[in-house]
Amino acid sequence: MKVVTGVVGNDIHVVANRLIELSLNARGFEVFNLGVNTYLEEFFDAVVETGAEVLLISSLNGEAEGWSREIKLLKASYKNLDNLVMMIGGNLVVGSGDADEIVPKYKNYGFDLVFHQVDLNTGLDTLEEYLKQRGMR
Amino acid sequence: MNRLLIDVGSTYFKVSSQENIEQHFRDFNKDILDDLKFKCSKTIECYKKDDVYICSSANGGLSTLIIGLTNSFSLKYAKNIAFNSGINIIESVMYQNLADYSIPSDLIDVVIIVGGINTNKDIFKDDLYEYLKMLNYSNIVFVGCENEAQKLEKNIQNLVILPNIIDEKLHIVEENLKEYLTNLYQLDIEGKEDIKNLYEITANQIYSTPYIVNKTLPFIHIKFGVVDPFILIDIGGATTDIHYSKDLVDDNIVTENEYDRLVFKKLGVYKSKESLIFAAQNNEFVYELLSYLKVTENIFSDESQKGTKVLMQLAIFLVLTKMSHYKQSYINLKLLSINSIVFTGGITKVLSASEIEEIISFFYKKILNSQHNPMTVLDSNYDIWTIGVKGDDNVN
Ligand code: B12
Repeated sequence: MKVVTGVVGNDIHVVANRLIELSLNARGFEVFNLGVNTYLEEFFDAVVETGAEVLLISSLNGEAEGWSREIKLLKASYKNLDNLVMMIGGNLVVGSGDADEIVPKYKNYGFDLVFHQVDLNTGLDTLEEYLKQRGMR
Repeated sequence: MNRLLIDVGSTYFKVSSQENIEQHFRDFNKDILDDLKFKCSKTIECYKKDDVYICSSANGGLSTLIIGLTNSFSLKYAKNIAFNSGINIIESVMYQNLADYSIPSDLIDVVIIVGGINTNKDIFKDDLYEYLKMLNYSNIVFVGCENEAQKLEKNIQNLVILPNIIDEKLHIVEENLKEYLTNLYQLDIEGKEDIKNLYEITANQIYSTPYIVNKTLPFIHIKFGVVDPFILIDIGGATTDIHYSKDLVDDNIVTENEYDRLVFKKLGVYKSKESLIFAAQNNEFVYELLSYLKVTENIFSDESQKGTKVLMQLAIFLVLTKMSHYKQSYINLKLLSINSIVFTGGITKVLSASEIEEIISFFYKKILNSQHNPMTVLDSNYDIWTIGVKGDDNVN
């Protein structure tokens, strides 16, 4: 299964991004890593070019929220992304924040799976479970 | 060795010998060869066919229509390759929105279809064939997903299939498409009656001018005190060309080439004067710029040398603005990192270094809010083109 990943916006924290690529590979995913400093349009464009089923965005410096507000509108301009599984994780707000508030907010932005300050492996286990439930894996 | 170098542009031609450089406006009632002979027969007669080198940027080159999947990858990569192959006229169409585009009525020299990495599938559908039926084109090439090639070949007559320009890491692969387009361009130049006739006075291959300029850039330091990184701007009669080094773009395009080229069609001071003025009038800073230059909007209808000067200054400003982060476009250059801006072409005959610098500092202050002031280098003797045409003996 193909996954497009990268760090959104002007964020340059690269360590988690490298780990994400390694972990996804180890779990048997085919990974397209766009690296740090990736804009929303590039994420969706990469999904279209590769035919990926999952988009995994990470954000560490707190700027994800600004971008996430634009997701629904942008995604609607693409004609074939309805079945895309969208996932985001890292530090999803400035400061520590409360996951109980953050998660529903991001789901409302259009994400299926949201992980605020959650360990990577926990997040990826949840992803695999989710894909199984949807009969995708 | 004594050689004669001739550059045929859309507006004028230049003839450069060991001794001097002549420049003449073209007479469009005449065939290029007749015009040349009429204006410089004395010079031309002094040279053997073997010693005459010609390049041409006239006729605009090939017209291209690219049908691709996304702005960030397929369309962007194909555009990049086309520009670097010397092509000026590029229209692009996003495949998923095919139905929203009007059908171009002009004959298209080459249609490029691109999209998808090789392991993708089921990308192109019948709507593509329907669209193509409405187009009028001479050549068509597919450079996308391998899995789609057979299907497309069955449905599209005379389709040329080349390796995908997007690899499995989503990086660009240039060589095959570039070679294909460069060859087509070459055939096109040779096929044009006007240009064909020029082989009467040269025994050497006639190249496209941007190809020659691009070849020169790695050796530019031979003649000029250019400090890297630099950009080169060639404001012509019909189009404006920019050549820039790769380290000036933050980009997903990673290639062997050190320099890329970008063309602003319809941004020139003679043939495309109207559209240049139109673009200027739609720029929110232009009135401030005009008052900075101490002129009014009336200057647009001024046919004198002063009018041309202002148009060229505007062209510099518009081009820099279009390449800056102020305007999101196909490519944004890191203009705060450049140390030199090289100008070549007709502009060097019309504007002085200080008139150019005036505009550059206005641009940096107004648009980028910066005191940055890259050095201006004028190629007023067409050395860039001469180095390129003479080719390797210069360098070795
Ligand atoms: C190293 C570092 C930097 C380095 C980055 C070097 C580089 N190129 O990577 C430098 C010094 C450049 C830097 C700069 C900045 N940083 Co910094 N940085 C850090 C630091 C100390 C460590 C980050 C790191 O690499 N951790 C190791 C990796 C493995 O962990 P991780 O990034 O947290 O990722 C894990 C999880 O978040 C999760 N995860 C990540 N993505 C995803 C996705 C999914 C789907 C899932 C499930 C999980 C997941 O999995 C990973 C492994 O468990 C953190 C603080 C900290 N201790 O975390 C601050 C931190 C991330 N930085 C921060 C800030 C604010 C900045 C700056 C804005 C500082 C400034 N004022 O200039 C700039 C921003 C620069 C930019 N444009 O992005 C803040 C962010 C605060 C917020 N979100 O509210 C932090 C948290 C520090 C803090 N406590 O204030 N930083």
